[in-house]
Amino acid sequence: MNVVCTDRLTKQYGHTTALDALDLTIGEGEVFGYLGPNGAGKSTTIALLLGLIRSTSGTASIFGLDVWRDAPAIHRRVAYVPSESDLWPSLTGAEVLEFLGNVHGSVDRVYRDELVERFDLVLDKKIRALSHGNRQKVVLIGALASRPELLLLDEPTTGLDPLMEQVFRACVREARDRGQTVLLSTHVLSEVEAVCDRVAMLRAGRVIETGRLDALRGLAALHVVAQLHSPPPDVSRLAGVNNVVIDGTTIECDVAGSMEPLLRKLAAVGVRHMTTREPSLEELFIARYGELQPASTDER
Amino acid sequence: MTASTSAPTPMSAHAPRYRTEVALARRAFKQVWISATLWALLFGVTIAASALNYTSTFPDRATRLKLAATTGRDRGMAMLLGPVSAIDTVGGYTVYKCFVFLTAIGAVWGLLIATRLLRGEEDAGRWQLVLAGGTRAGRATVATLTALFAGVGVVFVGTTAITLLAGRNPDVGFGAGPTLLYGLSLMIAPTVFVAVGALTSQLGRTRRVATGLGMAVFGITSMLRMIADSGESTKWLLWTTPFGWTERMRPFGANDPRPLLLALAVVAVVLIGATRLASTRDAGAGVVATSDVSRLRPFGLASPVRLAARLDASVLSTWCVGAIAAGFAFGVVANVASGVVSSSVSDTLRRFGVHGGSFVLRYFGIAFLLVATVVALLPVSEIAAAADDESTGRLVHVLAQPVRRTAMLGGRVALAAVAIVTTGLVTGVAAWLGAKTQGVDPGLGRMAGAGLNTVPTALVVLGIGVLVLAIAPRAATGTVYGVVIASLVIDLLTTLVSGTSWLDRVSLFHYMALAPSEHTDARTVVLTLTAAVLLCVLALTFFQRRDLDTA
Ligand SMILES: Nc1ncnc2c1ncn2[C@@H]1O[C@H](COP(=O)(O)OP(=O)(O)OP(=O)(O)O)[C@@H](O)[C@H]1O
Ligand SMILES: [Mg+2]
Repeated sequence: MNVVCTDRLTKQYGHTTALDALDLTIGEGEVFGYLGPNGAGKSTTIALLLGLIRSTSGTASIFGLDVWRDAPAIHRRVAYVPSESDLWPSLTGAEVLEFLGNVHGSVDRVYRDELVERFDLVLDKKIRALSHGNRQKVVLIGALASRPELLLLDEPTTGLDPLMEQVFRACVREARDRGQTVLLSTHVLSEVEAVCDRVAMLRAGRVIETGRLDALRGLAALHVVAQLHSPPPDVSRLAGVNNVVIDGTTIECDVAGSMEPLLRKLAAVGVRHMTTREPSLEELFIARYGELQPASTDER
Repeated sequence: MTASTSAPTPMSAHAPRYRTEVALARRAFKQVWISATLWALLFGVTIAASALNYTSTFPDRATRLKLAATTGRDRGMAMLLGPVSAIDTVGGYTVYKCFVFLTAIGAVWGLLIATRLLRGEEDAGRWQLVLAGGTRAGRATVATLTALFAGVGVVFVGTTAITLLAGRNPDVGFGAGPTLLYGLSLMIAPTVFVAVGALTSQLGRTRRVATGLGMAVFGITSMLRMIADSGESTKWLLWTTPFGWTERMRPFGANDPRPLLLALAVVAVVLIGATRLASTRDAGAGVVATSDVSRLRPFGLASPVRLAARLDASVLSTWCVGAIAAGFAFGVVANVASGVVSSSVSDTLRRFGVHGGSFVLRYFGIAFLLVATVVALLPVSEIAAAADDESTGRLVHVLAQPVRRTAMLGGRVALAAVAIVTTGLVTGVAAWLGAKTQGVDPGLGRMAGAGLNTVPTALVVLGIGVLVLAIAPRAATGTVYGVVIASLVIDLLTTLVSGTSWLDRVSLFHYMALAPSEHTDARTVVLTLTAAVLLCVLALTFFQRRDLDTA
C-alpha cells in the first residue's frame, strides 16, 4: 500500500512555481530519499503534505486521507522534523518533549529516554541556552519517540555533528526495520546512500530522476582504471567511452553501457591490473544537475 | 608586480571608516522615521488645536480670569492631568491641556523604539550579524542611538514648526523663544525613555523583558509625578521624574530651562552606562542573569492553549496588575476630586462627553476612559505572541500535531478574552476599593459595571487584531496599536477641535459609554459584542484557509 501519494501536486507563489505537477508515491516501510539543490521545492512538498500550505492544483494523500482536509487525523500518525527549529526559548528540552508528546498523543517514554541517552542530550537546559544542533536533537527525539507510521524529515541533520549523524542513521534504519515509512529530504548524499531505498531528485519543482538507488547508479558511467603491458590503444572512439586519460601504460576512462568493446581493445594489448568503481551518489548528483546547470541558474 | 592591482584586497582597506556604523544608523532610522513623523504631526496638531480652541472659547480677559479663578483648587485633577498654572493665558492653558497626554505618549514611544532596535534586533539574531560585519557592540549601539535621537529630532522639529505656525496667529501669539523651549520640554520624555530603553535593553535578555523593565520605570516616574502634584509638601519630588522636569519648565510662563540641563545630564549618564554594558556583555545575553537550567514544570504542557497561557501569563498579569493599580489610584484620588467642584472642571468633563451624575461619577467617567485604553491594549501582547509564534516557526511545530487550527487560534482568543474581562472587572472593583478607603462610596455594583463597560471595546480590538493575524500575521501587532492609539487620538481631537465630531465615528471609544457617569446603552453593548464575535469568527475562517508562514 502507498503511504504517500501525490497527483500532479503543484504549488505556485505568484509567478514562482515552487512545485510543478509532482507525482510521487512512497510505499509502506520505505525510506525515501528526497534530493535537490536549494530552492528545488523539497520543503514546499513537505509543507504541502502536512497541510501547512495549500496546493495550487493537484492532490496529495497520506494513508489515503486528503492532506489538507484531514490534516489532524493524518498528524496523529505522522511526525515532522524541520531543518531549523526555533522552539520556545523559555522551556527546557524536557518540557518541550513533554509538550510535543502530550499534543501528539502517543509517545513511547522508554524509547524516548533511550534516545535522549543515545543522542547525548541534556534535558534540563532551557532551549535558549542550547546550541543549534542540540535544539535539532530535541525535535528529532520528539519525532522518533512518538513512533509514527510516517516520518517527514526535512533536512533533519542540519547542525548535527558526525557522531550524532551516525546515531540518526541508526535510528532511521531501526524505524524502517519496525515498518515505519520515512521521507528524508536532504543535501547530504552520504546520508541517502546510507539509509535510503529509493530516491527522487528534484530540480526547479520537478522530479528529474526517480528510482531505486542501485538502479540510478546503473544509469551512470562506471569508472575504469587499467594498467597495461604496453601503451594503450585508442579507445576514445568507442561508443560510451568518455574522459579518457592516458599516463604511460595506465588508462583511465568512464564507460556507460556495455563494457565489452573496451575490454576487447584492452585485452589485445594485455591487462596487468584493472579496477572499476561505481559512481558515488555525489558524482551522480553532480552529473545530473551539472548537465542541467544553465537551466538551474535562471531566476525562478 | 602588476598582478597586485587585480589581487583581491580586504574590503575594509577601501571602505571609508565607520561604513558599517553609518549603514546601521541609516537602517535604524528607516525603522523610526515613519512613526516619528506621525507623532510630530500629532503633537503639533494637538498643540495647535488646543491653543486655537482656547482663543475661541475664552476670547477675552474676563472669561480667562474666571476660568483661572475656578480651576486652581482641584488637586485630584492636578494629579491626573497635571497642575493648573497660568491658565488665563493661551500658553499656560495649552501646556496644561497637552501635558499628560503628550509626555506619556512620548515616553512610551521612546521606550518602544529603543527596545525594538536595541534588544529586538538582538533577540531576532540580526544584531549578531551586524557585529560579525565588522563593528563592535558599543559602536553599533551608539550608531543605533544616533538614529533613535534623529527620530526624536524629527518629532521636535515637526512639533515646534507646527506650534510656531499656530503661534503666528495674533490671538495665540506664541513667541519663538518660548515655543522652542516648549518643544524642548516635550522632548524630555522621549529622550529620557530612549535612554531608559537603551539601558533596559542591556539588562533584559528579551525584548519583552527590556520593554517590561522600561514600563516599570515609566510607571514609577509617572506615579512620582502624580504624588508630587498632590500637594505643596511633595512638590520637590518633581525633580526626581522626567515628567516633573517637563512640568517645571513652564514654557510661556516661567520659561525655566534648568530642568533641561538636568535631563541632558541624566540622559548622558544613562547612555554612557548603557554603551559600556553593551560593549562588555556577550552578544545575545543580558546583564541580569537568568538561570538556564530548570527542572521540569509540568504546568501548561498539556495543550497548545495551556502552553500559551503559561507563556503569556506573566505579561497578561502585568497588564492586569497595572490596570488594577491605576483603578485603585483613581479611586483614592476620587476623594480629593469630590471636594470642590469647579465649573471649569465640569466644563472639561462635558467636553469629553460626560454629562449628568454626581461629580464623583463624572470624574470616574473620564478615569475609566484611560482604563479602557489600557484594557484595549491588552490584546496586543496576545496577538504579538501569536504572530511571533508563526514567524519563528513554532506554530508549525504545533500544527504539525493533531491540532485543529481553529481550536488553536480560538483557544488563544478565548484566553485573551478572559484576561480582558478579568482585568475590566477587577479594575472596577479596585477603583471602588480605592474610593472606599477615602470614605467615598460610589457603589460596588456600579463600579464593577464601569469596569466591565470597557470590555466590549477591547474585544472589538481583539477581533480586529485576530482578523489581521489570520490574513497578514506580520501586520497584526502594528494594527492593534494603531487602532487603539488612533481611536484615543481621534477621541481627543474631537473633544478639542470643534467641528470635527463627524470624525468621532471612526473612534472605537465613541461606541463606549463613559460609565459610571453615563448609562451603558444595552443595544450598543450588544452590537459591539456582536461585532467582536463576528470579527473573531471571520478570523477563524480565514485562518483555516491560508498558508502558514513556513519561510
Ligand atoms: N512563502 C513563499 N513565498 C514565495 N516563494 C516561496 C515561498 N516558499 C518557498 N518559495 C519558493 O519556492 C521554491 C522552493 O522552495 P523550498 O523551500 O521548497 O526549497 P527547498 O528545496 O526546501 O530548498 P532548501 O534546500 O534551500 O531548503 C523556492 O524558489 C522558494 O523561493
Ligand atoms: Mg528546505
